[in-house]
Amino acid sequence: MPHASMMRQITDFANRADPYPVYEKLRGTPVLHEEEGGPYIISSYYDIKALLHDPRISSDAANLTAAGDDELARSEETGGLPPSFLRLDPPEHDRLRRIANSAFGPPHRPRRIESMQGDMREIVTGLIDGFGDAHEIDLVDQFAYPFPVTVICRLLGVPREDEPRFRAWVDPLVASLDPDTRQNGDADFQQTAQEARMQLGMYLAGLVEQRTKEPRDDLLSDLVNSRGPDGAMTMMEVLSTSVLLLIAGHETTVNLITNGMLTLLRHPDILRRLREEPGLSVRIVEELLRYEPPVQLVPQRTCIADIEVRGITIPKGSRIWLVLAAGNRDPERFEDPQRFDPDRGDIQHLGFGSGIHSCFGAPLARLETQIALSELARRLRDPRLVEDPPPYRPNAVLRGPRHLRIAFEGLD
Amino acid sequence: MRLVVDLNKCQGYAQCAFLAPDVFAMHGEESLIYNPHADEEQRERLARAVAACPVQAITADGLDRTDGSAAGPPQEASDGR
Repeated sequence: MPHASMMRQITDFANRADPYPVYEKLRGTPVLHEEEGGPYIISSYYDIKALLHDPRISSDAANLTAAGDDELARSEETGGLPPSFLRLDPPEHDRLRRIANSAFGPPHRPRRIESMQGDMREIVTGLIDGFGDAHEIDLVDQFAYPFPVTVICRLLGVPREDEPRFRAWVDPLVASLDPDTRQNGDADFQQTAQEARMQLGMYLAGLVEQRTKEPRDDLLSDLVNSRGPDGAMTMMEVLSTSVLLLIAGHETTVNLITNGMLTLLRHPDILRRLREEPGLSVRIVEELLRYEPPVQLVPQRTCIADIEVRGITIPKGSRIWLVLAAGNRDPERFEDPQRFDPDRGDIQHLGFGSGIHSCFGAPLARLETQIALSELARRLRDPRLVEDPPPYRPNAVLRGPRHLRIAFEGLD
Repeated sequence: MRLVVDLNKCQGYAQCAFLAPDVFAMHGEESLIYNPHADEEQRERLARAVAACPVQAITADGLDRTDGSAAGPPQEASDGR
């Protein structure tokens, strides 16, 4: 074969900094099946959108294992816990997501996220103040990483004095989910991750027990004391839901913030506008979710019936990759799709997916990123990239820079 | 500020009810209730809700600030780059 398969090109680390030319080629064959037993790769906007809403597509981890999963699909194991609603189909999915939602948003908790704005601003201000007199920072380690995990602690109801301990467990756990670290990490690293997972589980179990006895105004209390038609979650369900919120809401938000700052530094005119006009962050975040989505593809779905897409029959039992980042730049859907343009009137991106599994934490991620980017724009004086492109993490699914070094002239 | 939600488009994602809880509320899991004459103090939250609607079902009058083009949908992709 003269050329590497498209599948290999998607996972090839050499394409991580700019995967978009690969996606453009991919869209030339919108339903691509390269090898026996391999996934069907879907890359056009309308096909992805339709399949995200198709009940014949399963997210159940058991179906995926039966279909013969691959390295990309396995990247969200949580070890020892029952599957979270991300990896379940209706009706189990619906029951767990409904309970989780009754603790998180409207109609039962309409103000929970909105009311965290003050906390979010305070955390962001603290982190930026923490840059001190430095004239160069690593945005990932010093800002984008600590911010979302602190927000999740507050949301769940982890007491502030426990936040440092909590973060110390989450960091190795998140690192251990990266396919590359998992393959190449040494025994010590695996051991540390395993212990962190255990300790986090035990800590959360203790907190759940406390909140069962003495409920407070936090998400954990609501999960264990839910009295709706679906009842409450069991202890194991609360644990796997908490771990899901932690992991799904962590790496993705880190990458959205980091990709956001990277994109703004590559478009200095828009960064300048944001500095003057913080409200622009709302449109910037939506356009970022189209232009540089933190979840590039969904590799975990399986067909539970024969499905026809563009005249091609995808047989029952096949795996499907939905390449969201390719659909987001589909010229059939978006005008001038390769351009970053927060002023476009129509930004119905696939960045949060769609259908029953559409991102649960979307309202939280939006608010966090809007606040993060507008505050960074307002406070960093004359910021610029130290290296472009920055070094990337190996992960092709949850794609983002490992470091983002930014030089600036001080803080405002 | 006046606003209208196209209820044929609305899919009950509830993103608006998260971001502007004083303007939009959910009745049960899927039906939306909203205040068609939102207070001035809701401007920022309303702008967030309009932009966050996955199906762009919300139209608001008078959301534009006089000093910028942040909130108004422009005719065509303009400056940027």
